[in-house]
Amino acid sequence: FNLIMGKEECKTMLDALNKVTACYRHLVIALGSTSDSQNLREELKKTRKKAQELAVANRTKLTSLLKDKTISKEDRAEYERLWVLFSSCMELLEVDMKRSLEIAQDFPLKVPTRHLIQTGMTGSTTTVAARAMSVQNMKYEADSNIDTADLRDLQAEITQVSQMMEEMEMKVQVMKVQVAPWAVEAKQEAGAELKSNMSVGNSSVGSREAGFASICAVIGFFVIVIVALVLGYLVVNM
Amino acid sequence: MTINTLAKGGCHREQMACFRKMEKVIVAMQDPDMGMKMRNQRLLITVIPHAMTGHDIITWLTHKYRISEEEALHLGNMLVKYGYIYPLKEPRCLVLRPDESPYRFQTPYFWTSTRWPASELDYAIYLAKKNIRKQGELMEYEKERYSLLHKRINHTWDFVVMQAREQLRSSKQRRKADRIVLECQEQAYWLINRPPVRSITLYCIQLYCVVHIEACRKALGRNRVKSSICLEGFLKYSEQYLNHDPIMQGCLPSNPWISDDTAHWTMNAEIVPVPTRLRVERWSFSFTELLNDAMGRKEFMTYLEKEFSAENLYFWQACEDIRHGENSKIVEKVEDVYKNFLAPGAARWVNIDSKTMDKTLEGIKRPHRFVMDDAQMHIYFLMKKDSYPRYLKSDLYKNMLAKAIVPQETKKSVFPFMRRQRHSSPSPAQTATQAAEEEGLAKGAGANSAAGSHF
Repeated sequence: FNLIMGKEECKTMLDALNKVTACYRHLVIALGSTSDSQNLREELKKTRKKAQELAVANRTKLTSLLKDKTISKEDRAEYERLWVLFSSCMELLEVDMKRSLEIAQDFPLKVPTRHLIQTGMTGSTTTVAARAMSVQNMKYEADSNIDTADLRDLQAEITQVSQMMEEMEMKVQVMKVQVAPWAVEAKQEAGAELKSNMSVGNSSVGSREAGFASICAVIGFFVIVIVALVLGYLVVNM
Repeated sequence: MTINTLAKGGCHREQMACFRKMEKVIVAMQDPDMGMKMRNQRLLITVIPHAMTGHDIITWLTHKYRISEEEALHLGNMLVKYGYIYPLKEPRCLVLRPDESPYRFQTPYFWTSTRWPASELDYAIYLAKKNIRKQGELMEYEKERYSLLHKRINHTWDFVVMQAREQLRSSKQRRKADRIVLECQEQAYWLINRPPVRSITLYCIQLYCVVHIEACRKALGRNRVKSSICLEGFLKYSEQYLNHDPIMQGCLPSNPWISDDTAHWTMNAEIVPVPTRLRVERWSFSFTELLNDAMGRKEFMTYLEKEFSAENLYFWQACEDIRHGENSKIVEKVEDVYKNFLAPGAARWVNIDSKTMDKTLEGIKRPHRFVMDDAQMHIYFLMKKDSYPRYLKSDLYKNMLAKAIVPQETKKSVFPFMRRQRHSSPSPAQTATQAAEEEGLAKGAGANSAAGSHF
């Protein structure tokens, strides 16, 4: 039972990290553009910290599971697969963090001569950040020079993440886990993302949207029919 | 763990200068007073700001940098080609049209960067996202690349799907206008970094692959030595030469770089009346050591003359002269060698096997620097196998060894800070024994007079 719990827990944690990484990338894309603002910088900071917490949690959990010699071969293969997914996620995160540092330095918000790029994006990113942090609404509390003050923290965090990734590579060898990435086989075939699927936390995107549209259409239809009937009744009774 | 590890730590690359300059131009265009004139783009229901016409771009460039229209068109084309500006109609045609066609600025994250090249993982995620959005209706070349990537980074494909889904979900959080812009931006980025392949480029890629495969095949055929064997050989070499290394053992009488006493060099000059013992010992290490030392060669020659096989060494020396000598004298030297060593009935005729002799005689008709190589090698191995071992056992060599001098280490002078240092820098192994050594030092040899002059 313990092992089943372990696997589910791992998957959930990995899904959470995956979500935060996707949101973080979305926020970094807005840097330097007309969507950029003090709020965006704060959102980046919060999302980043959340990502790091999740990363550490994932790493601890996975390494403890992989160290365990008593697990079965299938379980081990599964954990190795999760480990590979986890490192790919961290790769993306590391690069995005480095890029966010670079772009944030190139586009300081308080310097009047430095203009933001007019990309056509003008909306706020607060809903994306809220999704990353798993809250309903974001609360902003940072002071006005977050764009410069935060950069030092960011640099330190980037070093931390790079170190963690190096350790991860070494740990894998020390544990004699031979996680050979090329030996891991994907569970999904090509094009699997098109089918609506069953795995945890990954409901299909297309069907949900189609469903919503069709419900709207049906409701609209009935509303029109009811209105027509009412009018007909009134006309008849005139 | 993707195949593309370029983006990983490792070397810190700089953004190429040309890109930094283009970035400056783009930033200058953003100036609210002096920058580009922006218009709105009207789609069916949504209105997206920050669009500009090609004509406006050219006008701005012409005015700002005071250049001709032609030059402005060229510069504008560069900006489009490298993705700083992308066309809103016909996104696949990356050309700046000087008319009313709309363009928009690209966000800094998607600017062309030599520091952050586009990775396979990102491309896979993009294709997966497109696959979902278009319900499988990808373009032909995209479908090919998709399956290729699926094979190549199969181990992390689950992550690709996961991340693609999540990225789509997070973009749904934005309002419709921003979502459209985001899609256009990404599409423009990948059209530049993974352009649709034309058949010509495919041919070039195939050609390159063939060449590369050949090179790999040749590399596979090369002779390899196991590192265990190499290392054994290296170990033996190190042990043998340990006493002869001035850094490990120090040089006698003293290190000239430290003591300013050049006795060490004068004693080990090319030709000396009496060579040092270490030098003579080295002659026994290998035949090359003997031949490379002028004195060793002289001694060996004396020995060979006693054995009546000196012509071998003369021949070898003549060949070396051809190989390392002046280009203009080669023909003349080859003639001489033939006359003296190879011609039938020559004064110093050398004994070479018939096959090599025939080959050499053929080569002499068109003499070049390396024409004598085969014959020289034959004679070299002859001497090495036959004369050399006998020389080492001979009385001539043994007498030389006995006669050889071992220079004494210079006496430590009275003042400690004037101490002659035997070693270039204190080595931990030596510091313990050094104290004991310096106590029981014998009187210095000829170096003492030199030492006396350095106060």
